[in-house]
Amino acid sequence: MIKSQCKQQEHFKKVPGPPPAGAFKARPTAPTSFRKFYERGDFPIALEHDTKGNKIAWKVEIEKLDYHHYLPLFFDGLCETEHPWEFFARQGVHDMLEHGGSKILPVIPQLIIPIKNALGKREHKVLCTTLKILQHLVVSADMVGEALVPYYRQILPVMNIFKNKNLNSGDGIDYSQQKRENVGDLIQETLEVFERNGGDDAFINIKYMIPTYESCMLN
Amino acid sequence: MAQVAVVQPKSMTRPKVWSEEVEEAYRFQLAGYRDAIEYKQVHKTDHVDRWPHNGYVKKLVRRDGCFYYYNKTRECPDKEIHKTKMYSY
Repeated sequence: MIKSQCKQQEHFKKVPGPPPAGAFKARPTAPTSFRKFYERGDFPIALEHDTKGNKIAWKVEIEKLDYHHYLPLFFDGLCETEHPWEFFARQGVHDMLEHGGSKILPVIPQLIIPIKNALGKREHKVLCTTLKILQHLVVSADMVGEALVPYYRQILPVMNIFKNKNLNSGDGIDYSQQKRENVGDLIQETLEVFERNGGDDAFINIKYMIPTYESCMLN
Repeated sequence: MAQVAVVQPKSMTRPKVWSEEVEEAYRFQLAGYRDAIEYKQVHKTDHVDRWPHNGYVKKLVRRDGCFYYYNKTRECPDKEIHKTKMYSY
């Protein structure tokens, strides 16, 4: 009797656990169209390789650019992780948002797919950049926060997955905080900016997609 | 023929701490000019694009005709402060 029980237990031990679903794993994407356009020289930017590497020299005034054409293309480049594409996409988006004003709002619907793709890549660096860009986008012009509310269904699911990605280092130093590369913190910040700028419906829509989110305004 | 009066600076100092003047000089020097005076001389204009709320430089045209755009807020990082040059006339 005992022998047969032991045999049964051994049998159970051999059953392997479920394979990892890979929800947090980075998903590689194909080269973006931003890269193609960049290589072809379609962007009105001067390519420089000097030591002052934090600025883009624009060949045309940003105010005169066609935002419907260029802004979605630059957003498309957020998926890039390699220099120089990554830098030009990030800095290009930054400059266009900073100086776009009222031209940004009508382009919002075209930005959602590139944002969704970038977040869906689930790569640490891309996530950080995209979240910072989202924070900038929301405050870049009037009504942009409200205009994003209908698209929460596209943007927020990935944030829901990574919301708890926060290192518990005890009393040690978490250097990612200083560098603003802590995904959990960045997501919390982004959601708060969304809520503050998204109007009356923002909170309930965020809560629907991310049930663990607590309001930063109601309490 | 009327000569354009070219003003040359008399002295130069290096700042130790950040201030709005340092920020102003930093922005011009990033674009390749000494300061606002030289910028106005080169481009023969009196106009410099500035942010309306704090007066920081917003847009500069480089010597090669390209445009540099600057943020609404402070751009000069701490490590660049001592490299900035403050000219006096």
